[in-house]
Amino acid sequence: MSIMDHNGGSVIAMVGKDCVAIASDLRLGNQALGISSNFQRIFPVTDRIYLGLPGLATDVATLHERLRFRLNMYTIKEEREIEPETFAHLVSSTLYEHRFGPYFIEPVMAGMSKTPSGGLKPFIAATDLIGCLNFAKDFVVAGTASSKLYGVAEGLWEPDLEPEDLFETISQTLMNAVDRDAFSGWGGIVHVITKDKVITRTLKARMD
Amino acid sequence: MPAMVSSMSQQPTQQAFNPYTENGGTILAIAGADFSVIAGDTRQSEGYSIQTRYAPKVFKLTDKAVLAVNGFAADGNMFVKKVRQRLEWYRHAHAKDMPIRAIARLIQTMLYARRFFPYYVYNILGGIEEDGTGAVYSFDPVGSYEREACRAAGAAQALVQPFLDNQIYFKNQTPAPGSSFPKHLPLTSVLPLVIDSFTSATERHIEVGDGLEIYVVLAKNSTALQSLQSLRGAQEVTTTADGERVFVIRRDLKKD
Amino acid sequence: MNSFVERYSTTSATGQLRRAQRLADEEDEFSDAAWGSSAGFGNIVKGSPSFMVPNTPDPTSFLRLHTDDHADPSCRIKIQHGTTTLAFRFQGGVIVAVDSRATAGSYIASGTVKKVIEINPYLLGTMAGGAADCQYWETYLGMHCRLHELRNRERISVSAASKYLSNLVYSYKGMGLSMGTMVCGWDKTGPAVFYVDSDGTRLKGDIFSVGSGSTFAYGVLDQGYRWDLTDEEAQELGRRSIYAAGHRDAYSGNTCNLYHVKEDGWKFIGNYDLAQLHNQGYGYEHRVEGRSSANPPEVVATA
Repeated sequence: MSIMDHNGGSVIAMVGKDCVAIASDLRLGNQALGISSNFQRIFPVTDRIYLGLPGLATDVATLHERLRFRLNMYTIKEEREIEPETFAHLVSSTLYEHRFGPYFIEPVMAGMSKTPSGGLKPFIAATDLIGCLNFAKDFVVAGTASSKLYGVAEGLWEPDLEPEDLFETISQTLMNAVDRDAFSGWGGIVHVITKDKVITRTLKARMD
Repeated sequence: MPAMVSSMSQQPTQQAFNPYTENGGTILAIAGADFSVIAGDTRQSEGYSIQTRYAPKVFKLTDKAVLAVNGFAADGNMFVKKVRQRLEWYRHAHAKDMPIRAIARLIQTMLYARRFFPYYVYNILGGIEEDGTGAVYSFDPVGSYEREACRAAGAAQALVQPFLDNQIYFKNQTPAPGSSFPKHLPLTSVLPLVIDSFTSATERHIEVGDGLEIYVVLAKNSTALQSLQSLRGAQEVTTTADGERVFVIRRDLKKD
Repeated sequence: MNSFVERYSTTSATGQLRRAQRLADEEDEFSDAAWGSSAGFGNIVKGSPSFMVPNTPDPTSFLRLHTDDHADPSCRIKIQHGTTTLAFRFQGGVIVAVDSRATAGSYIASGTVKKVIEINPYLLGTMAGGAADCQYWETYLGMHCRLHELRNRERISVSAASKYLSNLVYSYKGMGLSMGTMVCGWDKTGPAVFYVDSDGTRLKGDIFSVGSGSTFAYGVLDQGYRWDLTDEEAQELGRRSIYAAGHRDAYSGNTCNLYHVKEDGWKFIGNYDLAQLHNQGYGYEHRVEGRSSANPPEVVATA
């Protein structure tokens, strides 16, 4: 079995109308054995960027700390908050530095990025485990339930969803996808990022 | 001659016997209260190459049973041929069509007869039960089977099945207070879901696309008849009068 | 050497199958009965089933190459795996409880599998390992139990039925069958449970659990088991054990099917969605009710 499936877990991010959402399950397992139902793999990066790290749990912790360090160095040098596009490239280059001995993580990012006119527009991105960036306009997925997430998201997602509708769409996508995946599930968490706030909700899901 | 010495000391290498290949595609069946829908895309591929854009995977067995086969196309076609042969023998012996639950058991024994040299085929059987209800039976390659209300199999099963769980079984949804979800969806809701499932699968899976063939089997006096007759391009393929009725609906899928 | 012996031996399962194959050539596969009233019995029309075997030096390794998804996850024919099943004897009969999940790799292929096979009104078989193997051979066992009744004018004992199955699968040993089953029922001797697997093991016992989630089920089962359990307590224990396995084991879950065997045969008690059981009190958060470290009770602030 692949090392990417060792701990299980999945993340999805979606674009809405002036908002984005990122969601993940809460399972941490050791192969078939469930260990924790409260494993957070989505981290706030700035007030309007969230990062999801599905993959090998040991690398979730390591990569998160490493990115936090590089982000702090960036913030100190630049004396400003990082933009989502820039952060995506930071993640990508960090992963590619380990091209021949990679972190077993496929990051997913969601955030609101500044436009030249001073407004905010939704941004999502994902990379593979060696940092190949994918800037999708609709949704991105990663983790053990990725194929299931693709299928449901392709069926449920539509453009310009309002924050509450986007929450419902991403939650339904996540829960129905992980219910067909043996290594994801055990609860879920959703963050909806709008222009002025972040709404975080935990999902009551199947626990088997 | 050193080359000779080394070649003599070598063991003869044996090629592993590999009579199987995977031909992609996806099949799907949904049972309603008095109808059954069995669908499949028509692309046949091997690896990254498309062998043909039109290779049917769904076959009418009788006026009340339709079989969808997915996996290795050669095995699939041969299997359908053998099932049809057995059904014809049954017709000669009993002067009637075999009931669908008996066809399901027949398929189990035929698949299990190849337990040690399996047909690499995933079967979904859809149709009308003797009591007039819509039925779907799904099989694994060696014959374990189960009656269900809805099943997707093949290359994009992981994409389609969770979507169907959500939209057919209303999984993870709570009905509004004082109301409840319908036990069976009407044909007018099922057909768009089938088409959406295949357009989604075509979008995200390279082995799915080109064309879509949807068979609809209606029970006697099914209420779904009206909605079907007004549907664009629904073609009737029923062979006997006064019984169950079978229709085919064809749609294009993206060819890229 | 082993495959060499297999190839030329006439007594091994492989050898017998080869012989059967030679006799029942393609054209000869169906007797005249297949055209008439026995049509539909397929390959068991001659009374004993015959199987097509690939024409390779070692048919078993051929099968393993193409079907064993543990050795090679990329192999094509995925046989469904992963299960929790349990059965136990007690004062009030036999409780049989199983989950309903079937997985192919990480994909949950089905959440509605019937893992209890109703052999006849007095006998139940459980399903772990290859779904088709269990379904097919336990149905076949059902036919022979009926023949036993017709020949001997009495019901077959659980012991005899389980031995019939065990001898049957033993004759295919090494061919790749995969079954771990419990044959449960009530006969002249009272409630009985036999464990039979495809290695040929056959054990009589009081408590068995089989499958990837069996360790979790045993944990709850052993803790709560007494001979003098009431019917309700015993059913609850079976259900609770399956819930525990469904919770912790990724390959088990969805729903629990519960059966109770008594003197007058088996009775289906119910189908329970594990998510509902979780929310209705089996779940951890219901048992700690805000008193766990993750969710501590609110401390009243002191001025």
